[in-house]
Amino acid sequence: MFYRRAGIRFTRYRDERQIWPLPLDRRLMLLVLLLALAAPYLLDRLYLVGYLLPWLIWATAALGLNLLMGTAGQVHLGYGAVIGMGAYGSVHLVRAGAPLELAMLAGGLISAAVGIVFGAAALRVKGLYLAMATLAMQYIVDFVISHVPFISGGSQATITVPPVRFLGIPIVGDAAVYYMALGVCIVVTLFMLNVRRTAFGRALAAVREKDYAAEVIGVDTFRFKLLAFWVSSFIGGVVGSVLAVCYLRSISPDQFHIELSIQLVAMVIVGGMGSVLGSFFGAALILFAPIVLNNLIGFMADSMDMQISTDLRAHVPLMLYGGLIVGFLLWEPLGLAKIYNNMRNYFLVWPFRHAQR
Amino acid sequence: MRDQNAKQNDAMRSDGRILECRGIERSFGGLKALKSVDIHVDRGEIFGLVGPNGSGKTTMVNVVTGFYPPNAGSVQLFGQDITGMKPNRVARMGVARTFQNLALFRGMSVLDNILLGRHVHMKPGALPSLFYWLWGAREEIAHRRAAEDIIDFMQLQDIRDEPVEVIPMGLQKRVELARALVAEPRFLILDEPMAGMNQEEKEYIARFILDARDERNVSILLIEHHMDVVTAICDRIVVLSYGEIIAQGEPKAAIADPQVITAYLGERAAARVLQANGGAP
Ligand SMILES: Nc1ncnc2c1ncn2[C@@H]1O[C@H](COP(=O)(O)OP(=O)(O)O)[C@@H](O)[C@H]1O
Ligand SMILES: [Mg+2]
Repeated sequence: MFYRRAGIRFTRYRDERQIWPLPLDRRLMLLVLLLALAAPYLLDRLYLVGYLLPWLIWATAALGLNLLMGTAGQVHLGYGAVIGMGAYGSVHLVRAGAPLELAMLAGGLISAAVGIVFGAAALRVKGLYLAMATLAMQYIVDFVISHVPFISGGSQATITVPPVRFLGIPIVGDAAVYYMALGVCIVVTLFMLNVRRTAFGRALAAVREKDYAAEVIGVDTFRFKLLAFWVSSFIGGVVGSVLAVCYLRSISPDQFHIELSIQLVAMVIVGGMGSVLGSFFGAALILFAPIVLNNLIGFMADSMDMQISTDLRAHVPLMLYGGLIVGFLLWEPLGLAKIYNNMRNYFLVWPFRHAQR
Repeated sequence: MRDQNAKQNDAMRSDGRILECRGIERSFGGLKALKSVDIHVDRGEIFGLVGPNGSGKTTMVNVVTGFYPPNAGSVQLFGQDITGMKPNRVARMGVARTFQNLALFRGMSVLDNILLGRHVHMKPGALPSLFYWLWGAREEIAHRRAAEDIIDFMQLQDIRDEPVEVIPMGLQKRVELARALVAEPRFLILDEPMAGMNQEEKEYIARFILDARDERNVSILLIEHHMDVVTAICDRIVVLSYGEIIAQGEPKAAIADPQVITAYLGERAAARVLQANGGAP
């Protein structure tokens, strides 16, 4: 078949530890990258701005959350608030005249700083209690954002963003915004891929798997959990600034409620905990499944001349969507990435199934 | 090599004590797991900690490595007081250990597990990962060499890429020992490294333990149930029973102590054995 592992031997450790050791994977990724770069010229505006762009942004956010949940094994039910802090921070900086580069960095730092304060408190507890503590963070941040007029301009207010430039290039028009989001997405993706093959990722995985065994090999478990909080929140903050300053160009408090946090957690779980590719799959499914399901039901209602009440029609996609998530938790807890991997492993050695591993 | 050893020796206290525990007490609820235990380990020694199940051996090791701070008593490591120190700090001082019930990281390959043993020598962080090509790669490869050394030493070449949970128990124990050794510890604590092994596997591990001491200058505290192994490789042992020392000294003499036989076999059976041997087994 297409994938072949046979005959590939490495003579240097560096080669063996490549992100994609198989030549075919590398070619595939190159193709994906080229398509991503050419997308503004290939795709209709509707698809670019309506689908691809949000997908990139939310996949980047899912990657950031996946570092914490998948790699380090710490639940976070307030990641939407983390993104919100970065978004508000950078929007205000941009409005005050700061350059976008600085605003993005500051957005990340604000999220990371607040995130780590909550993290330090929350990490004294584990599992379910950690989930509750991060949930508390979500509500506190929500409350503060919408009730401090200095930040939100009032709970109903929408703040608009002036035009910005990145490295001298004006971020106006669909293509520029798209490339901006793509750039951030590529950096975060490469970072996540590198985390997996370096000591940082191993230490986080050790903390996730067995904290006492991590301690005994010298890993300061508390410090590494905090570090995971820090980095993950930083990524969230940067995504927030890309989202608000570049993509939406306006911001209001209701964008960063608990629903967003839940969706992000769902992306990570459905996509695959700890999987980079999975974050992309998960973001796609969570973003587009409701749309697809909605269209499907609309189509069925129309073509079969069924009488579906608008009420039902609004809720069925949501129910199916909930069922989808439960289904993943039950049948494939490792998510879409695992399903993809199983298929890939099958074809890697096809037709010699016994050589699989 | 010789020079380096000499320097390391100077750094330690003149009497070469690796570990010195005095009056260690530890209880769990009402249960006194350790009742004022004194043990010490000298440099270059293989020290055996022996005793029936539940006698407090693992608890003692947990006190030393910082998992259970003692209720009373003091722990000195390399001449420095470490009582109540966090486990990761103790590890950084050059102590490595294995667990009675394996503590490998599931889902990771044998190689990654062993590489994790290098943690104390690495500087893991987000930046080396972000700038992998400029920064992280060099460190990774340098430490990969050390890991491969141990893989050769422990003869794990064939399984280095296997996920750790699919290999047999005996090999998993060996991987855990490799992970401990790759940290280049000065002091190694092994909690029943041969539990559940057959004779051949036991001999392998015994060989590795002796080699580790002789070639890598590691002092070793060994908890072991198999008396043949204990008498064969330990220089000195302490026998615990119900959290108290009931015998110590040269292995053969110590395990022949009537109190030890009683502790292992119970009063009646011990009396029979002692009688049959004329009081001198
Ligand atoms: N974490 C703990 N909580 C409660 N009791 C414990 C704990 N750890 C050990 N014990 C008790 O302490 C005693 C000594 O146990 P342990 O040190 O594991 O014995 P050994 O390793 O010699 O078999 C046992 O009675 C055991 O039940
Ligand atoms: Mg034990």
